[in-house]
Amino acid sequence: MQALIQQVISGIASGGIFASLALALVLIYNAMGLVNFAQGEMAMFATFIAFTLIDRGLSYWIAFPVTLVIAFAGGVLIQRVVIRPVERAPVLTLVIITLGMATLINGLAGFIWGYVPRSIPSPFSVGTYSVLGAVVSYQDIGVIAISAVVLLLIYLLLQRTTIGLTMRAAAHHPEASRLLGVRVSWMLALGWGLAAAVGAVSGIMVAPVLFLEPNMMQAIIVYAFAAAVLGGIESPLGAVVGGVIVGVTVNLAGALPFVGGDLELAVALAIIIAVLLVRPNGLFGRPSVRRV
Amino acid sequence: MPALLELDEVRAGYGQTSVLHGVSMSVEEGQIVSLLGANGAGKTTTLRSVTGGVHWSGDIRFSGRSLKHLSTEDVVRCGIAHVPEGRGILTELTVDENLRLGSYLRKGDVRKDYDRVFEYFPVLRERRRLSASTLSGGEQQMLAVARALLMRPRLMLLDEPSLGLAPMVVRAIFEIIRTINQADGVAVFLVEQNARLALELSSQAYVLEVGRVAVSGASSDLMGKESVRRSYLGY
Repeated sequence: MQALIQQVISGIASGGIFASLALALVLIYNAMGLVNFAQGEMAMFATFIAFTLIDRGLSYWIAFPVTLVIAFAGGVLIQRVVIRPVERAPVLTLVIITLGMATLINGLAGFIWGYVPRSIPSPFSVGTYSVLGAVVSYQDIGVIAISAVVLLLIYLLLQRTTIGLTMRAAAHHPEASRLLGVRVSWMLALGWGLAAAVGAVSGIMVAPVLFLEPNMMQAIIVYAFAAAVLGGIESPLGAVVGGVIVGVTVNLAGALPFVGGDLELAVALAIIIAVLLVRPNGLFGRPSVRRV
Repeated sequence: MPALLELDEVRAGYGQTSVLHGVSMSVEEGQIVSLLGANGAGKTTTLRSVTGGVHWSGDIRFSGRSLKHLSTEDVVRCGIAHVPEGRGILTELTVDENLRLGSYLRKGDVRKDYDRVFEYFPVLRERRRLSASTLSGGEQQMLAVARALLMRPRLMLLDEPSLGLAPMVVRAIFEIIRTINQADGVAVFLVEQNARLALELSSQAYVLEVGRVAVSGASSDLMGKESVRRSYLGY
């Protein structure tokens, strides 16, 4: 029982990381009707920036928000420079562009920082805390807390502020929003910035667990896809719930003797396939209706 | 003193297909003008030209200022509210959020405007928290007009407010358009299939025929002319 609780809590911690990246995918999906395959690499790049800042002597708790601001600006820039000129291009063109960006950012990170894996110190002290008899690391508790705060802030921004309202309007109904005076193109750019920042949170959170190197996010992005698909690719709430479910499921499955760590990624892929077969709109998605 | 809205030899179309072949019209401050014509005559395209939803040439001026190089967002911010074909309701959002998008650019206190909008359309107050997708067609049209009203425009462009609605609902909405026009002095440029209703409401009217102005004049004159009625208005 204690082992179960322990696995669940550490699953929730992984889930927070997946949820952040999944939320980034959802934000961009809503803004351009497409999954951004470069999301993981953007997060990885931001993590390297955070690492560099810490390496230069900045404290973790200053480097963290500074990185988020840089990531936000980077996301806006990518939308303005790369995506906007091809906004009306066919979906396949956009898919190729995001895949190309993924390769480009990956190579750029390798060029700048090299491929040698580095260990990143955790901002949380080594130690454990006892929850219902289960031993939980400060690291897990810290990751859960930070993910929760970030996700809550995004929720409040989108649901409770005027800028969030106009962002949602622009994402779902660009033409009708323009007629209400919403600057749709800039709202989409803000969506990219926000997605880049949330994605960066997942990268920075996961780096102390994994090793920091250009391919760090390649497994995480699969978990994030699974989370986003499970939650319903258009639903921010779904991304968070999906993230936690995927985190816990993968962790529990990994603890089973016949699955083990090697097959954890396969579990995530199985979730994607199962959801697409059984409930293609995910838990919180609405069925898409198209007039013919 | 220039008219509030002036279209000067406007040509517009979609891709290779041209729809408007040089139309000139004007709407005076505080006036209701209706734009009539058969399907495909270019009524919707005329309205879409004003708010930049379609490429056009010629000139369109709003209180003397050319709208030529303005984006849709900027035209709207000049004080033109456009209730498009299909009403432009944001069905992913709640009724209240739709209304807030009408008033979000306004400065100062908008509570009085909300009170008045809910006085016109009490049903919207009851449904405030609900998703706009749950509204009936008539309620969505009310929401669209209410939202446009919250923008405090000088000119409202209404594209077929009667489409698909029960006659009683249409009467109610037209009554409110008249009230809005008289109480607030909002000018209205109204596209309608229901010619009789539109002519009763408006003071001036234009009839489009395949992208050209076929007839124009005072609404009461058009209503009276047997030949115009029979060949263009179909009643």
